[in-house]
Amino acid sequence: MKYKSLLIFSIVLICYNSDAQTRAKGLEEKVQQLTDMTAKQSIIPLNLNKFKEFVRSPPRDYSFVVMFTAMAPARRCAICQHVYDEYLIVANSFRYSPSYSNKMFFGIVDFDEGSDIFQMLRLTTAPVIMHFPAKGKPKPADSMDFERAGIHAEAIIKWIQDRTDIQIRVFRPPNYSGAVAFSMLFILVAGFLYLRRNNLEFLYNKQMWAVAALFFCFAMVSGQMWNQIRGPPFFHRTKNGPVYINGGSHGQFVLESYIVAILNGAVVVGMIMMIEAAGGVSGTDAQRAQEGKRRRFQTVFGLVLVCVFFSLLLSVFRAKTQGYPYSFLFK
Amino acid sequence: MTTLAEPNLGNGRNKGLFNNMTGFSTLITVTVLLLAWLAGFASRLFAVIRFESIIHEFDPWFNYRSTAYMVQHGFYNFLNWFDERAWYPLGRIVGGTVYPGLMITSGSIHWLLHALNIPIHIRDICVFLAPVFSGLTAIATYLLTAELWSRGAGLFAACFIAIVPGYSSRSVAGSYDNEGIAIFALQFTYFLWLKSLKTGSVFWSICTALSYFYMVSAWGGYVFIINLIPLHVFALLIMGRFSQRLFVSYSVFYIVGLLLSMQIPFVGFQPIRTSEHMAASGVFALLMAVGALKYLHSLNPKGQWKQLLIVGGLVSAALVFLMVVFLTYMGVIAPWSGRFYSLWDTAYAKIHIPIIASVSEHQPTTWSSFFFDLHVLVCTFPVGLWYCVKNINDERVFVTLYALSAVYFAGVMVRLMLTLTPVVCVLSGIAFSILLDLLLREDELPAAPVEPNDKNLYDKAGKVKKRAPEPTTQADFGLGTNVRSGVLIAFMILLMLFSVHCTWATSNAYSSPSIVLASYGNDGSRKILDDFREAYGWLSQNTADDARIMSWWDYGYQIAGMGNRTTLVDNNTWNNSHIALVGKAMASNETAAYDIMTMLDVDYVLVIFGGAIGYSGDDINKFIWMVRIAEGEHPKDIHEADYFTEKGEYRVDSEASKTMLNCLMYKLSYYRYDSGGSPPGYDRTRGALPGNRGFKLTFLEEAYTTEHWLVRIYRVKKPYEFNRPRLPLAKRTIQTSLTMSKKTSKRRKGVLKNKPTLVKGKKLSKL
Repeated sequence: MKYKSLLIFSIVLICYNSDAQTRAKGLEEKVQQLTDMTAKQSIIPLNLNKFKEFVRSPPRDYSFVVMFTAMAPARRCAICQHVYDEYLIVANSFRYSPSYSNKMFFGIVDFDEGSDIFQMLRLTTAPVIMHFPAKGKPKPADSMDFERAGIHAEAIIKWIQDRTDIQIRVFRPPNYSGAVAFSMLFILVAGFLYLRRNNLEFLYNKQMWAVAALFFCFAMVSGQMWNQIRGPPFFHRTKNGPVYINGGSHGQFVLESYIVAILNGAVVVGMIMMIEAAGGVSGTDAQRAQEGKRRRFQTVFGLVLVCVFFSLLLSVFRAKTQGYPYSFLFK
Repeated sequence: MTTLAEPNLGNGRNKGLFNNMTGFSTLITVTVLLLAWLAGFASRLFAVIRFESIIHEFDPWFNYRSTAYMVQHGFYNFLNWFDERAWYPLGRIVGGTVYPGLMITSGSIHWLLHALNIPIHIRDICVFLAPVFSGLTAIATYLLTAELWSRGAGLFAACFIAIVPGYSSRSVAGSYDNEGIAIFALQFTYFLWLKSLKTGSVFWSICTALSYFYMVSAWGGYVFIINLIPLHVFALLIMGRFSQRLFVSYSVFYIVGLLLSMQIPFVGFQPIRTSEHMAASGVFALLMAVGALKYLHSLNPKGQWKQLLIVGGLVSAALVFLMVVFLTYMGVIAPWSGRFYSLWDTAYAKIHIPIIASVSEHQPTTWSSFFFDLHVLVCTFPVGLWYCVKNINDERVFVTLYALSAVYFAGVMVRLMLTLTPVVCVLSGIAFSILLDLLLREDELPAAPVEPNDKNLYDKAGKVKKRAPEPTTQADFGLGTNVRSGVLIAFMILLMLFSVHCTWATSNAYSSPSIVLASYGNDGSRKILDDFREAYGWLSQNTADDARIMSWWDYGYQIAGMGNRTTLVDNNTWNNSHIALVGKAMASNETAAYDIMTMLDVDYVLVIFGGAIGYSGDDINKFIWMVRIAEGEHPKDIHEADYFTEKGEYRVDSEASKTMLNCLMYKLSYYRYDSGGSPPGYDRTRGALPGNRGFKLTFLEEAYTTEHWLVRIYRVKKPYEFNRPRLPLAKRTIQTSLTMSKKTSKRRKGVLKNKPTLVKGKKLSKL
């Protein structure tokens, strides 16, 4: 009795198994193939046949993330390389992460090798990252929006998590270039100092330090930090010719900030000239026996610099700030 | 105006004419400082004169509330105060999470005045505290600049800082915030530090530490001091300017300052546990090592000690650095906190801490806001910097480092313009003082040409013999009266422009209480919009004492301060997930939001809606940050992209996305809205007709809307309430008739009437 039931059970089991096997054979094989390919290369290059076989044809229980790109230099796609780098980081992070499974694979289609795939999906732009879910067709949200999310690996991972519920922790290969550049610079400076160790007078050159400090101040005061963080255009092209000054007080163009830095610099130079002409700070420069005429000229020149450039600065500021009532020399 | 003109003349004369008359120059100094105080005080009163004596904005309301609590209950009760009206249901330990310096300052002023039998309300002290302290800041700046350069420069700097918009932005009457007193503490600490460095006396070092203690108790920006002073010491060590004075002043300051700063409950053990403070202890260790090496050197001045000194210094620096790195790695020392880290890595906050990135004052600074806040000083302070670097000494190293670091921080964050402003005033004061000093002195000294003759004795030897042409050379030497007076007039105009600009900026940009709004009609008539206080007043009068109000965190302090009701989140953004939960409720649809609101025991929801009057700082405009913050914590439920149109636009009209049109914030803002212009229901802030109108609310009901629709308060219905009006009576009877025969139901009509609602409530609460 006991054995009988066991027998029946095992028969049923075997029957069921074999049945399942025939059904899932294609799938298992595919997954195995994909896993092998991923082991070799974390991003699988796809051509038309492979694309059809692995991505489009039905027995699938895995998600496929595919990047469509045009990497050939002739295509002149500058952003493709950046996106590819980030995409590679994502694929590698997934490949070597503890959450690695055969539920998701990463592929890439290059335009020059699979232009028919582009046609098939009616893609006209590159790069595009698309997600092909295990079941059903990709929805509009299954192609990633670079404009909104950005192209960083973090953004891609967030999008993937959104689409597939697979969490990946981004693992960036530590970026040594910064450290290398820094240490190179350090070594250069140290080497330079060592070579000139008998003649380190230049380090005591206050003029140099003062100029460096002033340049730093001009850069900061003219909003270079804002430029770096916000990345505004160099200047704005319109139908009526280029616009160099942003109309609002909450924005600025790169060129505009340079102009402002120069205006600031001119005011400072003018003021320093006046002070030097008037005798300089006692203790540094001995009263130079300049001719009165020259000193007068220098003073007047400095004064003109200060007044004119400050008025320019004021009028630029006035143009940007609505309702600002004051101006000097110029409207 | 008058105060500005005063020091120019006063300073010039005091150097020239009255060289020996110290009494006279002291009189001028005191007069100018008093006038600067007066001008600074007066120029900050716009808000009080235009509106009334009222606390402004958001954070000041909390400060005021806790000050009032302290005055009422005493200092120790304040330190132990657990505020269960904030962060419901978590509560907040106020005493341990606040910098108490501000409250103690105004509390002690209150105590003093009452001891003198001057009955003054604590609110008036709070309102006028910052303007009064601006005068003290001016004096501290004068002292600092006088240590750095000259008294004349000090007077200039004092006058500048008294009225400069970069500082008055944070210290107008009514803006009762930490920064108001902290800038005084900052400047005074720096002055005392320079004094102690100059004299090398323990007395001044202790004074520095005490002033630092006051600063720590007042503002989180004390970190700037505890990093800048070590940086100064480090720079002096590198420059080979080690001295016994430096050794004494820094070691005394560091140890006493460290111990004192740890007495503030909010700071606690941070000074020895966090990376922000490690520079100070590292430099302290380095200074000790260098001091020891110097001592060894002094034992045997001959031999290779110099090499040993350099090598030993480098090795100990490396050791200290590695030690700090190791301890950080081991987790003994906490790494840089996000707020400070985002100063270095400027992209950090945007990716990782949306709540920091969302605050407008944490944005980087454009050049026009530099110019707006500093005006002429922005292009003259590099002149002062130039001469400080060229005539470097121990103190000027300090001011150089101060300027460079502050200008960097101000570039990264608009808010830190506040730390830049004092040093800009100092350096501009120096620049103006040098120039006007020279111009005016030559004018007064008849012996001016003699001075160059003395110095250029060898060159001029031949000329001395020729007595006859001397008058011509003398006339040719100076700048001439015309040029001098021309320059003077031009600079007077510049300074006048500056003071006019300052007054304009303070009056137009920084004197709005933001609690009371003013709108101006075409004929210049002014209309006061007092909706906020109306709403908070309604809350305090018409809701239960323990009612819990949900709103976005911006209004938390105001609801607590004016409405005296419990809030879920407030401006002390310490718990991101709690805020994200509120954001999620606002961003979800009504049903999902109701679940969250029941979970959080919310009784009322308060939203700010500016569409009717065109107020741009309302909740719909802030809404995208709520979504972002919510998405950070609940990435599964909230997707930022859902709230934008297909093209990625943020709109509220009929083209807006479906999620947007159905989220709670949208519904609460536009519910029953029919005001705002020609098509009724037009949103004047967004300039659009809302896309979803005429809808009904299921789970909430409108409780109160202020006069100009600015604040809208909704009551959250209890679970048994919200389906009743929807069920017509007939339907209810039919439902009951399903289970019982008509006959019985008729007979038991009175009993059954209550039953279905009870069942309903139970069912729905399970949803």
